[in-house]
Amino acid sequence: MRKSPQGKPLPEITELTRPFWTAAHDSKLVMQKCAGCETMNFFPKPWCVECGGRRMAWTEVRPTGSVYSFTTAYAVMMNFPGWQDELPLTLCLVDLDDGPRMYANLVGCRSEEVKIGMRVVACFERISDEAGVPYFQPG
Amino acid sequence: MRAEVALVGYGRTPYSRLKPGDPVLTVDEYLAWAADLALQRAGMSKADFDGQGLAVAHAEAAHTVNWSAAVAESLGISPRLLLRGDQGGASAGALLIRAAAAIHAGIVDRVLVLGADTPLSIPSVAPGLPLSPERSRGPFWDFQGPFGVMGATAQFALSLTRYRHEHELSDEQLAKIAVTSRFHASLHPGAIYRTPYTVDDYLGSRVLSSPLRLLDCVPIVNGGMSYIVTSATTARTVAERPVYLTGFGEINNYYRGSRSNPDITYTGFAQCASEAFDMAGITHDEVDLFQPYDDYPFVVAMQIEDCGFCEKGQAGRFIEERDMRYFGDFPLSVDGGQLSGGQPGGAIGGFAPIVEAATQLRDEAGERQVPDPTIAVALGFGGIPYGRPGRSCVTMIFSTER
Repeated sequence: MRKSPQGKPLPEITELTRPFWTAAHDSKLVMQKCAGCETMNFFPKPWCVECGGRRMAWTEVRPTGSVYSFTTAYAVMMNFPGWQDELPLTLCLVDLDDGPRMYANLVGCRSEEVKIGMRVVACFERISDEAGVPYFQPG
Repeated sequence: MRAEVALVGYGRTPYSRLKPGDPVLTVDEYLAWAADLALQRAGMSKADFDGQGLAVAHAEAAHTVNWSAAVAESLGISPRLLLRGDQGGASAGALLIRAAAAIHAGIVDRVLVLGADTPLSIPSVAPGLPLSPERSRGPFWDFQGPFGVMGATAQFALSLTRYRHEHELSDEQLAKIAVTSRFHASLHPGAIYRTPYTVDDYLGSRVLSSPLRLLDCVPIVNGGMSYIVTSATTARTVAERPVYLTGFGEINNYYRGSRSNPDITYTGFAQCASEAFDMAGITHDEVDLFQPYDDYPFVVAMQIEDCGFCEKGQAGRFIEERDMRYFGDFPLSVDGGQLSGGQPGGAIGGFAPIVEAATQLRDEAGERQVPDPTIAVALGFGGIPYGRPGRSCVTMIFSTER
């Protein structure tokens, strides 16, 4: 486990988004799969952004994917003093093997080693008794 | 709707970085100041907008729900038509299109369009840049902040990294945009940073979020801007030099490719710019002045390509080959842009390209005046969606002739 993310931004958990955070607490990645067109939606949406269908089921996805793009922050920007201790911090866009693209904090490798197309795997950090947040490492 | 409306006035208040001794003004005070400047320039008074249109772009500073009506109250104007923009840096352009449509429909003859913000005065826990509380709530936010997203600089850096995976675009080429903007700012008394710098200064500025540097980032200011748009008929009676809106295009929530895995090296200008050029009936060679939405040099590079001034992937070479100074062959961000001029919050910067286009086409730009311009292109670019650049894109083409 990583250290407690004190001072970092925490999500406000709602009924719409709760399944994601609960699954991450149990080290699983889940997303909304449209019953009509099978599109995997992320971040959580009120209906499928491809077909407009409202029947969406939370579905486990493989925690693996590839780096679509990346950047490494050397300063805390906006109102995120809590990230100060983790600089430099690498942020990626990861294309998951099972579907959509997501923002991902990449750890476990030096920033100069990050490459587009690099394989990554999700890990999970518990942020409360009911919620977790995924981050990624090379894998 | 080609050339059915024209700009007859504009205003830009002095900006403030809230240095010691600077007056601390509220959003309402900046709105009134910006309105006053536009009315003076148009030779109008606030009474000319009773029964007409009033448009207000949203601010990040806290404001009431029915804010455009509250602004009408605070200014003592009783408009028939109220418009409220909520498209961030695209608000000013989107409001112009809405105003033009209302004038075209005969609902009003003229609209006073205002925007102001005081992002440096918002209470915040931030150690530097304040952040509106309303910006950091809801599922959109919840799936960014906790994942390490630290704002626009990181988000545009992601687009640039991907762009460089597919195309060549050097630091020196981006530097040329930044250096040119600063050169223009040195000629604009209202610009917030006016000391010229060199390509080496740019390259030496510290990396904030790789590959973006400090001198890639727009400086936030407090301030207000405005313009007045009327029917072409009225414009000819009140203005010596009406600035006609001859073409426009807009697209919101643009995706290149699939919604799940889009190509983030494109912006919505790839769709809406050609609509504007077609409507105006002009070619790119006829453009005398380009006022992009320049909060980052890389964003300008994407806009140059997506507006069709060069092929995708060729912006670097284009930047290198062209002289972007006011007397050059591709005058760009002639007001110093937002990059050196300043951005009054993420929602108001979109007025600047319109204000400068009007200033230049009316031959009122003083030291930085482009020689005899007749056609200007101005852009609005607002909001950053999840994992993509630019929620709202607006292209406007202005001309001194109908």
